[in-house]
Amino acid sequence: MTNHWIDIQHADVIMCIGSNPAENHPISFRWVEKAMDNGGKLISVDPRFTRTSSKADIYAQLRPGTDIAFIGGLINYTLQHNSIHREYLVNYTNAAFLIDKGYTFDDGLFSGYERGSARYDNSSWAYQLDDNGNTLRDDSLEHPQCVYQLLKRQYARYTPDKVCEITGTTIQDYLNVARTFCSTGRAGHAATIMYAMGTTQHTTGTQNVRSYSILQLLLGNIGIAGGGINALRGESNVQGSTDYALLFDSLPGYLKCPTYDNQNLSSYLEKWTPQTNDPKSANWWSNTSKYMVSLLKAYWEDVATADNDFCYDYLPKRSGNYSFLKLMERLKGGGFEGLVLMGTNPIVGGPDVRSIAVGLGNLKWMVAADLWETETSVFWKRPGVDPSKIDTEVFLLPAAASVEKNGSISNSGRWAQWRYKAVDPPGNAESDAFIIDQWVKNLKQIYAKGGVFPEPIVDLAWNYGDGHEPDIDLVARECNGQFTRDIEIDGQNFKQGQQVPSFAFLQADGSTLSGNWIYCGCYPEQGNLMQRRGVNDPDGMGNYPEWAWSWPVNRRIVYNRASVDLNGNPWNPQKPVISWNAVTRKWQGDVPDGAWPPMSEDGSKYPFIMNAEGVARVFASGLADGPVPEHYEPMESPMVNLMSGQQSNPALDRPGKVDRSGLYYIATTCRVSEHWQAGAMTRSLPWLVELVPDMFVEMSESLAEEKGIREGDMVTITSLRGSIEARALVTNRLKPFRIGGKLVEQIALPWHFGFNGLAKGDSANVLTQAIGDPNCYIPEYKAFMCNIKKGGQTA
Amino acid sequence: MSSNRDFSRDGTFLIDLTKCTGCRGCMVACKQWNQLEAESTEFFTGEGYENPPAMSEYTYTRIKFRDFEKNGQHEFAFYKEMCMHCNEPACASVCPVGAFEKTAEGPVFYKEKRCIGCRFCMIACPFGVPKYEWSKALPLVMKCTGCLERLREGLHPACATTCPTAITYGPRDEMIKLGKERLIKHPQRYVQKAYGYQEAGGTSVIYLTALPFDELGFKQVTMRPLPEYTWEALRLVPGIFLTAGAGLSALAWFTHRRERLQKELEKERAELAAEEAKEDQE
Amino acid sequence: MSAIRRVIDEVRSFHWFVNLMILVVCIGAVASLLRFVYGLGVTTNLNDSYPWGLWISFDVVTAVPLAAGAFTLGAIVHCFNIKKLEPLVRPAIVTGFLGYSLVSVGLLLDLGQPQRAWHVLRYWNLHSPMFEVSMCIMLYTTVLFLEFLEPVAQKFGWKVSLRLLRWLEMPLAIAAAAISTLHQSSLGTFFLIAVDKLHNLWYNPLLPLLFWVSAICTGMCIIIIEATASHKWMGQPNEGVLLETLAKILPWTLGCYLGLRIYSLLFHAVGPFFDRPVLTLLFVLEVGIGFLLPFLMFCRKGVRENDRPRAMAAGLVIFGLVLNRFNVSMFGMMDPDNIYLPSLIESLVTLGIIAAHILFFVLIAKYFPIFEHHPETVDYSIPDPLFQGKGKDVQQTSH
Ligand SMILES: Nc1nc2c(c(=O)[nH]1)N[C@H]1C(S)=C(S)[C@@H](COP(=O)(O)OP(=O)(O)OC[C@H]3O[C@@H](n4cnc5c(=O)[nH]c(N)nc54)[C@H](O)[C@@H]3O)O[C@H]1N2
Ligand SMILES: Nc1nc2c(c(=O)[nH]1)N[C@H]1C(S)=C(S)[C@@H](COP(=O)(O)OP(=O)(O)OC[C@H]3O[C@@H](n4cnc5c(=O)[nH]c(N)nc54)[C@H](O)[C@@H]3O)O[C@H]1N2
Ligand code: SF4
Ligand code: SF4
Ligand code: SF4
Ligand code: SF4
Ligand code: SF4
Ligand SMILES: [Mo]
Repeated sequence: MTNHWIDIQHADVIMCIGSNPAENHPISFRWVEKAMDNGGKLISVDPRFTRTSSKADIYAQLRPGTDIAFIGGLINYTLQHNSIHREYLVNYTNAAFLIDKGYTFDDGLFSGYERGSARYDNSSWAYQLDDNGNTLRDDSLEHPQCVYQLLKRQYARYTPDKVCEITGTTIQDYLNVARTFCSTGRAGHAATIMYAMGTTQHTTGTQNVRSYSILQLLLGNIGIAGGGINALRGESNVQGSTDYALLFDSLPGYLKCPTYDNQNLSSYLEKWTPQTNDPKSANWWSNTSKYMVSLLKAYWEDVATADNDFCYDYLPKRSGNYSFLKLMERLKGGGFEGLVLMGTNPIVGGPDVRSIAVGLGNLKWMVAADLWETETSVFWKRPGVDPSKIDTEVFLLPAAASVEKNGSISNSGRWAQWRYKAVDPPGNAESDAFIIDQWVKNLKQIYAKGGVFPEPIVDLAWNYGDGHEPDIDLVARECNGQFTRDIEIDGQNFKQGQQVPSFAFLQADGSTLSGNWIYCGCYPEQGNLMQRRGVNDPDGMGNYPEWAWSWPVNRRIVYNRASVDLNGNPWNPQKPVISWNAVTRKWQGDVPDGAWPPMSEDGSKYPFIMNAEGVARVFASGLADGPVPEHYEPMESPMVNLMSGQQSNPALDRPGKVDRSGLYYIATTCRVSEHWQAGAMTRSLPWLVELVPDMFVEMSESLAEEKGIREGDMVTITSLRGSIEARALVTNRLKPFRIGGKLVEQIALPWHFGFNGLAKGDSANVLTQAIGDPNCYIPEYKAFMCNIKKGGQTA
Repeated sequence: MSSNRDFSRDGTFLIDLTKCTGCRGCMVACKQWNQLEAESTEFFTGEGYENPPAMSEYTYTRIKFRDFEKNGQHEFAFYKEMCMHCNEPACASVCPVGAFEKTAEGPVFYKEKRCIGCRFCMIACPFGVPKYEWSKALPLVMKCTGCLERLREGLHPACATTCPTAITYGPRDEMIKLGKERLIKHPQRYVQKAYGYQEAGGTSVIYLTALPFDELGFKQVTMRPLPEYTWEALRLVPGIFLTAGAGLSALAWFTHRRERLQKELEKERAELAAEEAKEDQE
Repeated sequence: MSAIRRVIDEVRSFHWFVNLMILVVCIGAVASLLRFVYGLGVTTNLNDSYPWGLWISFDVVTAVPLAAGAFTLGAIVHCFNIKKLEPLVRPAIVTGFLGYSLVSVGLLLDLGQPQRAWHVLRYWNLHSPMFEVSMCIMLYTTVLFLEFLEPVAQKFGWKVSLRLLRWLEMPLAIAAAAISTLHQSSLGTFFLIAVDKLHNLWYNPLLPLLFWVSAICTGMCIIIIEATASHKWMGQPNEGVLLETLAKILPWTLGCYLGLRIYSLLFHAVGPFFDRPVLTLLFVLEVGIGFLLPFLMFCRKGVRENDRPRAMAAGLVIFGLVLNRFNVSMFGMMDPDNIYLPSLIESLVTLGIIAAHILFFVLIAKYFPIFEHHPETVDYSIPDPLFQGKGKDVQQTSH
């Protein structure tokens, strides 16, 4: 989230698109409704009429996988109606930048496409530079090669009629959304976008999010109160785990994971430290070396010295794609000997789960640490297999639940909040920290006796005490960072072992260590700020700066320097995030993105400090599948792409399929508020089972009628991957789409069920396909084709 | 019956169904706090995702789903059913052993040790709240406790605490004020009426809705406190008893008077005759 | 051993009908045992939306007015001093006593916590019609018991107590009438709280009064039926002349009831009345056939003076009352989407209770002098110790 949960209350328009917060983020609705009480309008854009839609002022139905078409149309509407926030756009984004003359877009393909490898060479997507290496720009936004004009050209094709033909939205609903949302392109008006998995779980997932960002930038809605683009994170600490390198291509704090060609620290830094000539760009990532060295120091402390590249060699270098999809592919091919699963249940939650289950049988051993016996940990006795034919040795480690241990959890708003242990874990259950601690300690002992490349493990600094549990407080202190020796920085003296006050003090010379630079400041000398529970609200904006601690540096709304005009006055004086006090020459309000004076003054910096350009990227050259979002059909679709000859995302190595048989229906997967994820945690709880006891499939009244299906009937749903049975929930909340001139039915499946536990049911993921977005490899869970017939599988 | 108690500071739920998301956290919180058993359900038993089918001995509160189309518009609405904690509870007035009590805190509390299990409370409650332990050989009544024990610990009811959006809990006069403010501030959003403000003489649960109350399944109930209906007759009891007793006695006295007179006459005569006989003997 | 032998022989000698009744009672007893083993949920068709069923509707709400003969007649005989009806009093008292005892049995079965029934005495709730009814039923059963002691004392020749009881007869009759007035009407008060549940055809604030008046009418009709039946099937003397007297009172009470009923419907009830066809039909049956028709019949001398039509008219009133009580407590309260039908066990228990009533009545009539009681000649004076042992007097006076 650029903003945070409480800030949603300031929005004039809230668009929930690809998310269903009333069901999946119920507490967030408190703030959505607060905004509505103050006159805010809620828009729900979803294939299904959900509990969120039930509260919305405007509901717009859209076909799964067509967000870019939908938003592309809104971008077009904004540009056509000149609802842009021009001053914002010119000064705070790259809209005025000129793009390389070689850049083209033709029939769904951007310049640089290499057909054989399905890759783009993005050199033609670069900015035009003058002879000094400065980016060329046209602040009148008239230059035909400027981003703004390119955008106009790209999206002029997204007319309301065309969009609705693709998305299946009725034109009235669509225009209603356009009018309402695009009305916030004026100073003093804010719209926010709340998005989640309906947006991301597509082969165009990343570009879906990009399309939202572009729209918000055009309207000047980022950085301001009640604005932003807000990912509603899922698992309770998924924000924390991504911050701490959940993803295969990152290290803690979103440092890049070294690749095989980054042979030493300097080549690593050269590759991953962005450069700029523009003195007004803070280019925050230019500090990469400080954060990387501090991280290496945290890992190997005294062993890590300037002489040995701070043990950079100890880091594994990745040589490919280790995304979940690829790992599962390899698992199926027998590519692994052992597998450790900590708190995950992939044969319910993964895509195309039958093939994952087969893969698990190729393992020699598997360890599952979980609160429950999950489907995955008993994969060897799933229905239809003979346990005696599976040789995998499975260990189930009972794990302690969140309320049975101490530590921080980071919410979507980046607030790291400390939680305290409430009860002891039952039986032999132990915390994950205990499990890891034991592993490391044992590995250290084993490797001390020798082995292949034992140093990274033997030398690893592991100083979390000798108690039964590792001391989580020590872990938190290390994540924040400490001085490794006495040092003076900017006239301030620090002692060895002292806590680093903020990441501005981290050093590249080994004098500091920090387990995660973005968390530097959460645990300074004065104590653990994540434990704070102050309810002070100094500016009445609900930022509660003394409640817990949010990264970075307790900033509650990131890019907040874009919430003010060039003179430092808030676009919306009623709802200021920060404002420049000309007398004290200081910012007041939230922690600003840098203390430099406003843009109109010398020595100022641009507001989007994490980009090398210092401004937000309406046009972004860094993605695998194009600099601006373009509509492509999902990999399995009921229709040909009406926007171009390119059926599906060209950056994927497989072509998309169009189903012309007419027997197949659009399917999507979703959640219900009563169950959690793969279900182990809720399908074992009678109070929740009581509420939603069976696997079901939602379908329209017309589809049910056509198939002779009545409410509650058992039906069989089949995709190319397999088939499952479920009870039919016939409802007018789902409707067929009128697309490309004909009616196409949709069905929706909750993916919470599996064959184990108190409430059992078939898994929706038997049907889903293991193909994902080319940038982040999230599987396309939300759009595929299937057939449906009356009667259960045994019937 | 109508008591003169001031209800304005009674702990009261303001349940704004325009804000209810149907998340059902309240149902789970209630079961957890009261340690109620889960019901065994199959598929769904009403519109939307409705389950269990009704409030019961295992379920003190329930979200009723309404899922239909009206004038081409979807309606997916939710109604949290629970005990209304009436100011003048019918259940308490009819209970032969006084097992229900309107407490000073607001909740209508059930003293299960007293209950004889006659189920008159179930007949009397206009909202159909008290439920019975049909599964047991010696059943008791079950209903929402208003979380009295929590209130006495300075907490709010479990469901109100859990609810992210719809429930506000506080003194009745403040909840009424807040409700009125909302009706005035958002005339379009609400049906201009607060259910429970006057229903059954006023309750400690007050609802605001967007859909007409009957479409959501709210019961249409009288605005008079229910105990008045029976009390109107019952208060006559001593009078009737005395009048009937006295009237019949008087009647009997009258009707037997002649007989008595007759007898006395006969007796006198007999005595006279006896005396005469004596005299005669003498 | 020989005692048991004698009992068995005795039972063997009974009429087949009596043995049938014994069988039905036994089945009912077993059924009610099941209720305690398996609970109400399994054994009855009661549920949360229909918490009161056959047992309350028949065994309590209907059985109480059916047992109203005792107080009605008591009042007529003792208070209005219409002495010639006195021979009917004892059977009425027996019926009443049995009726109320069985009401208590029915109630205990229906209670969730019968072992706590005494709580009613411990925790008073003066606002509860049920509290009032329970107290009345307890008191009244006691009164009836005392009244019933008379034939018992007579049978066993306890002279003193008999005299005492005779002396108490009047105050007891008055108490009985007053108490009955209260609880007969309070049964109607029960349903006053169901203002939003009971259908408009039956709900009105005069319900208690209507219950009381109809109970009086029924009390008399029950006596007519009982006397006619015991004459016909039990070889008891024909009390036809006495019944004619009762039948003369009936047009007045029935007329009164009908008047009140119409008045209450017109002036105290709120519509809509005829929105549910089934209920409309039930209403027409109840008022038309159950009350109006017998009223017209009793107005005719020919009906009053002849056993058969008189008994038929009385039967119609009883039908009307039963239907009325069911309409109020069952049909009129029923949610059309949630129809209640009594379960087999509920029905067996109720049949058992009805059979028990008949059975005990027959047995009591067989062994106790309840019909031979024509006490015109009885000496009401306080017994003189000098004349002790002259108990035979009493027996001599019977015919
Ligand atoms: N109760 C509950 N809460 C949860 C979870 C849970 O399992 N249960 N899981 C948590 C986790 S890990 C996550 S990631 C989040 C996910 O939270 P959400 O993303 O809100 O969850 P979903 O229900 O998967 O998807 C949201 C909506 O996207 C819609 N949708 C499907 N396809 C499309 C599309 O192409 N475009 C658009 N615009 N919408 C589409 C679906 O109909 C659905 O209503 O929830 C978190 N919260
Ligand atoms: N079709 C379809 N599939 C999907 C999605 C979808 O929308 N549609 N959504 C996807 C998304 S967004 C996600 S996040 C994934 C989630 O997929 P998974 O992560 O596999 O699913 P969970 O059920 O959340 O698994 C978490 C497990 O952790 C256990 N657990 C809980 N607390 C602890 C703890 O403290 N320690 C340990 N060791 N274990 C613990 C729980 O018991 C549970 O079994 O599923 C994905 N799968
Ligand atoms: S489940 Fe937990 S994290 Fe999710 S909304 Fe509810 S309280 Fe918040
Ligand atoms: S709602 Fe019913 S149970 Fe609750 S207090 Fe009122 S009468 Fe009693
Ligand atoms: S069932 Fe219990 S609480 Fe209800 S009225 Fe009867 S005795 Fe009172
Ligand atoms: S007040 Fe307490 S008992 Fe009543 S519904 Fe809420 S949580 Fe349940
Ligand atoms: S917790 Fe609140 S919002 Fe959720 S269902 Fe209950 S009343 Fe509605
Ligand atoms: Mo997730």
